[in-house]
Amino acid sequence: MREEIRRIQQLMEGAGYVTDRSVATAVYLSTALGKPLLVEGHPGVGKTDIAKVLARVLDGDLIRLQCYEGLDATTALYEWNYPKQLLHIKLEERSDRPVGQREADIFSEAFLLKRPLLQAITHHGRPPVLLIDEVDRADEEFEAFLLEVLSDFQVTIPEVGTLRAESRPAVVLTSNRSRDLSDALRRRCLYLWIDYPSLDKELRIVRTRVPGIGERLAAELTTFMQSLRRQRLVKTPGVAESLDWAAALVALHATELDPALVQETMGCFLKDESDLRAVAARIEAGELAAMCSPAG
Amino acid sequence: MSAPASTDLVVHATRFCRLLREEGLLVTPGDTLDAARVLGLVDLADREDLRLALRGVLVHRPEDGPAFDRLFDEFWGGNPAPAGRLRRTRPPSGSQKERLPLSLEQWLRGGERDAEREEALVPGPSELESLGRQDFGSFGDEALREVTRVARRIARRLATRPSRRWKPARDGARPHLRRTLRLSVKTGGEVSELAFRQRKVRKTKLVVLADVSGSMDLYARLFLQFLFALQHSFARVETFVFATRLSRITEQLRSRAYGEALAELAAEVRDWNGGTRIGASLETFVREWPRLLDGRTVVIVLSDGWETGDPEVLGDALGAVHGRAARVVWLNPLLGSPGYEPLTRGMQAALPHVDVFAPAHDLASLGRLARHLAL
Repeated sequence: MREEIRRIQQLMEGAGYVTDRSVATAVYLSTALGKPLLVEGHPGVGKTDIAKVLARVLDGDLIRLQCYEGLDATTALYEWNYPKQLLHIKLEERSDRPVGQREADIFSEAFLLKRPLLQAITHHGRPPVLLIDEVDRADEEFEAFLLEVLSDFQVTIPEVGTLRAESRPAVVLTSNRSRDLSDALRRRCLYLWIDYPSLDKELRIVRTRVPGIGERLAAELTTFMQSLRRQRLVKTPGVAESLDWAAALVALHATELDPALVQETMGCFLKDESDLRAVAARIEAGELAAMCSPAG
Repeated sequence: MSAPASTDLVVHATRFCRLLREEGLLVTPGDTLDAARVLGLVDLADREDLRLALRGVLVHRPEDGPAFDRLFDEFWGGNPAPAGRLRRTRPPSGSQKERLPLSLEQWLRGGERDAEREEALVPGPSELESLGRQDFGSFGDEALREVTRVARRIARRLATRPSRRWKPARDGARPHLRRTLRLSVKTGGEVSELAFRQRKVRKTKLVVLADVSGSMDLYARLFLQFLFALQHSFARVETFVFATRLSRITEQLRSRAYGEALAELAAEVRDWNGGTRIGASLETFVREWPRLLDGRTVVIVLSDGWETGDPEVLGDALGAVHGRAARVVWLNPLLGSPGYEPLTRGMQAALPHVDVFAPAHDLASLGRLARHLAL
């Protein structure tokens, strides 16, 4: 393995993100080639965390843009703070300063509301990490707009002029695949698919992120979650759910799984009523032991 | 940064990209350049490094992952250093052609002769078949145009539903207060220019799950033409076909000509005219594509309900779809035949979770579909 990739993996692990070679390689190439990284995968496998950890590793600020349907340039890029502008005009009514100067005032940076994309562009100091979360939720028009910004990291504001990024931010996009992203966007990005972790990796994740957990409980819990993922469920629990559950069990001072305990805390990892019923039925049928043992 | 990739490596990268392209992966010249750059950035003696790195650059969608891995092994072989001898085996394109499902080629030719051969393949009651031939047996250009026309009409209706929300407009009946104020700032707080707003268009989305198993073959043929036309005039359609397993064909239907689209489908969908596992297919849909469903999505299932799997699975899966979508429309071509009652076990399990149960055996019934699709 190349030294840089190993180092990135070490740094990410050091920052509390248990990872593997495919992730480390993708992150390394993304920084080396200066291309955005597009991360796809099931909910709760740690897509968003990549950006957070990357920010910590690169020692830069994390700027996050959460996408949703109807997101437009005013919420993503910038907007003039017009109530403040109006107020300023009223206050200045009596002043005898020239009009041109007063106008220049209200179109200065003090009246500009910087939204995440502009923040990333005008950021000073170390290059920030720009996280564009759940980009599949935004509509196609926004995607096209995003392409434009990501391609040269400059923005033209008519009243101010063109703003160019001092240093290119590292960009991470995440998508849950609720709709297909355009080929244009895909081609501009490096692509990384994160699957559910293997038993081994999940165990390491649980141990790292929930320090107080006992060896036995961690092993039982991860095996149980792995067997749940093989079952037919409406909402398959991700790693985030494993961690929630582990934290809850630690808070309850549990050292091992037993049927009653699982029944009580099932809400931590099952978020659908029919799933709850299905799994409860299995546990009542005495299948818990089989679900927690590595062979099952 | 690292030393530039040697010419040798660039040649290899180019060849590899060409191989990927031959096998149908979307690899642009820009990607090839990236691939060449990547070769200079990783440890070439480490095959896993090389694979992961090239994968990051050349694979843009998860579906392409397995194909990439196969071709990677084929191209770079067991040979860790790509500077070594190239082990390029012929891609198995020839054998793949032979494996094309028969029926699709028949579709493309639309020959009479083939109907006879189909008869042997099609399971289910025989009156079903003769009905199908009656309806769509002679499928000429005229009918094709008609289907396209119906699809356009439906698309227009779906695309012009006003929503509760507003958006800025060039001109209109209602002023946009916020924008007007914003504009007035330019003139020192005096309103001299009005901004307007109008209703947003409500975005209905369609998800179509079409049964293409043997018993549905004749109807699916018409319906796919319909979907093809619909998707061309209305962008928010996701299309899946299933028989024994589910395949997403949205992309294929986007390509230009109908013949091309079908040819592509043939390459993609391997289970044309197999048995029918509706429940398992719907379940796959719920598991793999859950976020396609929301309060503005209408799900259309086209199937005759001849389920060979467990009807309970079908009921559960459709229930899950029903819970999340705005509406579930089940189109059953058999409904068009007099005296048909939905008594099959699959249909019985499905009906509690269906909002609209409608026929789809001829053009008129497709035309009436518009009513059910507008939310």
